[in-house]
Amino acid sequence: MMNRMSRHTAAAMLVAAVVVASASCTRQAPRSHVVLMKDITFQPAELTVSPGDTIVWENKDFVPHTATARDASWDSKTLNADSSWRYVAEKPGRYDYYCIFHPTMRGTIEVR
Amino acid sequence: MSMPSFHNRSVTLFGAALACCALVACKPKGEQAADTTAAAMAPAADTAATAAPAKPNDAQIAHIAVTANSIDSAAGVLAKTKGKSKAVKDFAQTMITDHTQVNKQAVALATKLGVTPEDNDVSRQLNEGAQTSQESLKTKSGADFDSAYMDHEVAYHQAVLDALDSTLIPDAQNAELKDLLTKVRPAIAAHLERAKGIQKSLTSGS
Repeated sequence: MMNRMSRHTAAAMLVAAVVVASASCTRQAPRSHVVLMKDITFQPAELTVSPGDTIVWENKDFVPHTATARDASWDSKTLNADSSWRYVAEKPGRYDYYCIFHPTMRGTIEVR
Repeated sequence: MSMPSFHNRSVTLFGAALACCALVACKPKGEQAADTTAAAMAPAADTAATAAPAKPNDAQIAHIAVTANSIDSAAGVLAKTKGKSKAVKDFAQTMITDHTQVNKQAVALATKLGVTPEDNDVSRQLNEGAQTSQESLKTKSGADFDSAYMDHEVAYHQAVLDALDSTLIPDAQNAELKDLLTKVRPAIAAHLERAKGIQKSLTSGS
């Protein structure tokens, strides 16, 4: 009797584990996105990412730039030529950002 | 916005010198003033009707580019010291940083190509105009300085942008020099837009 119950419990646990595992599989693995700072623009200027994704800004110009959120929630600080900055987007929302040295450089990151 | 007369004079000189550098680059000094004035005043069609001017060579273009960058970097150094508002001081720092970086690239390219930037009448006129502007700016202080400096920066960057489009980029023969000038253009355009924004904010007092 105990043996049969144990087998039932084990089977139930196995099913539960499979369900949990498959549920976690449907959640997308974090991705990495690149935004180029080139010709005094952000390329792409608009980017949609998922929470947990990483965004890498790479400065391909020969003048320094920044990627600075308008709401001040994140800021790369000065990025010299050929340097980069990584940021993991966690909180959903729409973030407008710009370069403090060249305010005509504008971009948007949408986290959803 | 009215511009102080010295700025009108010096910036007109900058613009005329850069935009019409081909007209004066190879002329004896005595003929330059008349040519520059005539070229600045002549409608485009009339200018086109005149004999084809000698174009500046790559060594001269490199020299003009380095001179123009150095001038604005020097103006930035002055503005960092004498400027009043944070926006003006921050802008001045960007001018120092960016124009210094551009010149590093220009010098590196000239070295790589084995080209010695060649002094020319346009560069000399730019330097003379810059000296006049600097001397005048030095006599100002506070909000007057900020206003005069930003007026100058708007006009100067517009003149450089026009010169890049009309002369420097199209006349550059070496592909790498042309590419460098083309890459510099967006920075000059961004400086101009930022300068206009600050100029406007100073005028409105915001």
